Amino acid sequence: MPEALSPLARSAVRPPGPTQVMGGWEVSTRVSTSSLWLADVSPLAKVLVRAEPGAGVAARLGVGHGRARRRADGVLVVGSGPGEWLLVGPPGSASLLAGEVEVERGEGFASVVDLTHGRALLRLTGPTAPMVLAKLCPVDLSDRVSPNLVAFRSFLANLATDVVRDDLDGSRSYLLHCERPSGQYLYDVLIDAGAEWGIEPTGVFAPPAKET
Amino acid sequence: MILIPCPHCGPRNASEFAWKGEHRPRPDPARASPAEWRSYLYHRANPCGWTTEVWFHRAGCRRYVTVERHTLTNEVRRAVPAGGER
Repeated sequence: MPEALSPLARSAVRPPGPTQVMGGWEVSTRVSTSSLWLADVSPLAKVLVRAEPGAGVAARLGVGHGRARRRADGVLVVGSGPGEWLLVGPPGSASLLAGEVEVERGEGFASVVDLTHGRALLRLTGPTAPMVLAKLCPVDLSDRVSPNLVAFRSFLANLATDVVRDDLDGSRSYLLHCERPSGQYLYDVLIDAGAEWGIEPTGVFAPPAKET
Repeated sequence: MILIPCPHCGPRNASEFAWKGEHRPRPDPARASPAEWRSYLYHRANPCGWTTEVWFHRAGCRRYVTVERHTLTNEVRRAVPAGGER
């Protein structure tokens, strides 16, 4: 007997309890009190754009390989590779983001793909976040080499991962983007690596509580 | 450690790359003799010294890179996009 399909979307990462359904996703509502926290932000819309690096699409997206920029509407545009961009927007906005990408005649081949349910996206935040990543990643994470809004792809615990530095209110923060089947592994390895600095999981829509 | 200066990503550890072999010009299949074709497919120079190789940046930009490497010292003196890509 075929199993009834559920309209509920689940992330690749098991949400730490308590959970509730928000925007069609089962998410954790846990609130961390630690200065170092890890959140599963996979429900954010993720759209991959591929186009000729020198074409008009690249100029309209306004960011090159290795950099990211935050648009006025809050959408993060990441130059994730040569001729490759990742748009990260609010949950449920993937169709809107994909529709905004204009490809004009004569600009060569371009592709726009909604990756929201095919990738995992984590956010690691805290003053010791670079030290956690330095245990897993061979790239220099110092301010000189990797300032805010830098983007690169490298190995993180031997897993090819897109890393975007996207500071929150002046605090070091990194978005980590990988294939969905590897999401739980990356989450677990970050929790393990951050244990010595007191890392705590927090919910996707729950901002960490300020320590008093 | 071998450090490869990827033309797209900057210097990266060779563990991020996959070695694809010596760079060799491909003969014209319509004109090459069986011996030339066999040599292209199976024979390698394997020098002790400078050689030109193709590496694939699998954990980075996912592009092919032509690299000049010294096989004894692992010094890399040049890395450019393979195939004349932009």
